[in-house]
Amino acid sequence: MKEKQPKALMDSIWPRVRRKHLFPEIPVPKMAEPVEGTEIEAAPKEGVGLEMKGKQMTIHTAFLTQLKGKMSDEDAMEALLDHGVTHYTFCPWDFYTYLMLYAESKRIMTDKDLAKQVANHFIDVVSDTHCVKKKKTEIPQLYRHLTKGVIEETMVSLYQEIWGMDLGCPPSGKRKKAREAVIRRLTRIPYLDRTRWPESIQRFARSIKPLLLEQQEEEKGGTGKGENNPLGEHDLNHYSHEEIEQGLRDYARKSMALPEFREVVEDLADELKEAGYSMEGGMGRGRGSPLDADVLFYMKLAESYSLPVRKTIVEKRGSLHPHSHSPWEVGSPYHDVDVWTSFGKIMPGITQVWKKREGKGRGKVEGVPDCLIAVDSSGSMINPRKILSYAVLGAACAADAYLRNDSRVAVYNFSDAPMGGKEVLDYTKKREMIYRSLCKYFGGGTALDLEDLIPLVQSRKNLDLFVITDMKITNLETLIGYFAQINNRITAVHIGENPYSSRFEKAAENKKNISLFAVKRKEDIPNIVLGKIKEYFRETF
Amino acid sequence: MKGSPQTKARASRLSEHRRPALQNPFQEFQSYSFLTKNIPLDRIVQSTEAVMDQIRLGYEKLLEEEAKELVWMVQYNTIIKAYEVAERYVREIDYSAEDIEDFCFALENTQKIPYLIPGPAGLYISALCNYAKEEEIVLKLSELKTEINLLGFRLTKGKRLLIEGDGGDFTGIGLEGGDLVVEGNAKNWTGAGMRSGKILVKKNIGLHTGEWMMGGEIHVGGRVRGLGNIVEGKVFEREKMVFPGKVRHPNMYY
Repeated sequence: MKEKQPKALMDSIWPRVRRKHLFPEIPVPKMAEPVEGTEIEAAPKEGVGLEMKGKQMTIHTAFLTQLKGKMSDEDAMEALLDHGVTHYTFCPWDFYTYLMLYAESKRIMTDKDLAKQVANHFIDVVSDTHCVKKKKTEIPQLYRHLTKGVIEETMVSLYQEIWGMDLGCPPSGKRKKAREAVIRRLTRIPYLDRTRWPESIQRFARSIKPLLLEQQEEEKGGTGKGENNPLGEHDLNHYSHEEIEQGLRDYARKSMALPEFREVVEDLADELKEAGYSMEGGMGRGRGSPLDADVLFYMKLAESYSLPVRKTIVEKRGSLHPHSHSPWEVGSPYHDVDVWTSFGKIMPGITQVWKKREGKGRGKVEGVPDCLIAVDSSGSMINPRKILSYAVLGAACAADAYLRNDSRVAVYNFSDAPMGGKEVLDYTKKREMIYRSLCKYFGGGTALDLEDLIPLVQSRKNLDLFVITDMKITNLETLIGYFAQINNRITAVHIGENPYSSRFEKAAENKKNISLFAVKRKEDIPNIVLGKIKEYFRETF
Repeated sequence: MKGSPQTKARASRLSEHRRPALQNPFQEFQSYSFLTKNIPLDRIVQSTEAVMDQIRLGYEKLLEEEAKELVWMVQYNTIIKAYEVAERYVREIDYSAEDIEDFCFALENTQKIPYLIPGPAGLYISALCNYAKEEEIVLKLSELKTEINLLGFRLTKGKRLLIEGDGGDFTGIGLEGGDLVVEGNAKNWTGAGMRSGKILVKKNIGLHTGEWMMGGEIHVGGRVRGLGNIVEGKVFEREKMVFPGKVRHPNMYY
């Protein structure tokens, strides 16, 4: 019987695989032919069988050729597809899960390369075990025929134990006893319990750490470079820009810990850059400025808090209207999908969303004004680059809210301003610049210089002011006097109770445009700012 | 007759005939059968959890009986009494060496075990080691954040306990012929009151080492900070015998 061509084989297998995995939204996998002139037989080791970039899976025909005589092309291809699809449908599922697994593994391994290897092996064990338990799959057969190194052999021995199948991998080698002890520990982990993955990967890492260290030593000694995973490496290529954004946002929100976030982002900085990720958004811009993990932390955390801004009467402004199209990606909201240009389909690569812009209205219309954020970075405030500063987070939330409404934001970061302890950023929509300014820390005395503020406020009829400080400002009277003169909407947030804040409170009592907010617990800032702004705008509008 | 049931049925059949056939969007799934196999992992995880629950329960009961105020003083009679209680609970459980290691890490998980009191915890772990089926027990505790005291208490002859990581205070006290290896450091009062057996600490050891020891050997790969009042036995520092010999003053810093 004539053998089917790989492409034809894929066409017949893919609908079956899709159905088996309940129709995941993944494009038809591609087949990659070997480059002409390279001898397959010349390669002593098996190459990579499956590659995953974005949602696109690619199967290398050379890999199938190498398995000839051991298992049929059809079974090998189906096993590879089952493995690949389960990464999208079960583990790691999303970028946040990958980050979380990596971070937990790093706690044990301390070395970033080893932590990545552990995360990769764990993800493979989880997804393959899920597949073997829940689907009819040829994955065990594939593992039976793969060439195995020390770690792979251990993994296959583990599969033998937990799947209850003979995969032709009896425990052997000079360190048989030690390996058996590792496998005994590995078999006890509840791989399929998603809620326990953080704890499980730590146990997994603790168990295989000696083997990985041994392998690392051998590699250093020149005994051979670690082989590529034939079932594909798990890296950031799996994720789209939207998924990376969402993952970082979730990780910042769930960890709420700046040092942890910084460590993970710095470890993955090269890969993020290679994937074209930049803080300003957009992919494929190549290598630009280095990622500032601290700034990114506040940026992502602020995006997690949706701060509503009540609109006010502004001139030459209108409401948002559809402006241009951009491709829809998995994880993006559906409400802006343009059904006409998307042919009524929700599918990455086909579906398009409307990008909205605020248009110019005729005369006075509702809109969101620009905002000047004054943030105190004196010595009495927390250094936002050391631990999570709720003052900076509050300011970041406010900045995010205005930027999302297509308004511009200026930053006045002050400590001892008359002595030069200040940073002034003019009105801009450049998110990264704004957050960099907010994260700057001077740590000196606290004094405002009105000469810096006045040019930013003057000649702007529609402008909101957002001040966040502990109010221990030496020239507080000057500030109170200035606020009494202007009619802009002012939200002042101060931390803790002190005589200065009482003085400010008293002065602002009769001013309807000033809303003062005192917080006793710094941790309350992001939430209370949200509510207060709503209340304040409701009162004044 | 107009409106009779037969007429209605005929009309309905006709309208059905004219209407284009509606396709059930879930038809694809009609022949789909979910395959959920039982794999050995399910059984292993289930039995592991059950054993861990029993071990945890025993520890909680020990705390209830011996550390009601969550304060526990290390005194000769409290140690003996607490160990006897621990023995009572441990004897009833069927567990493996890996369960003991898992329990050590579970101690740090406050969601599972509310209190980690290093003294009773160490005695309970020692009882688990002494009553384990295996002759050799390896506890990989290098990632443990808390130092557990009293590990290797009364380790019996024929047993070998290897601790990968550090030991706390009172490591290997009252050793009864067992072989205790600590890959890292051990703190004060190590090997106090031991009768026979061997303790090997690969790194450094603290003060009062071998206090009132009656026999056996203590080998230290690093430095001994101070020896206790030793009755009988041998202490080696970097393969050199420091007791008996030209004894430096007991409990003095070297």
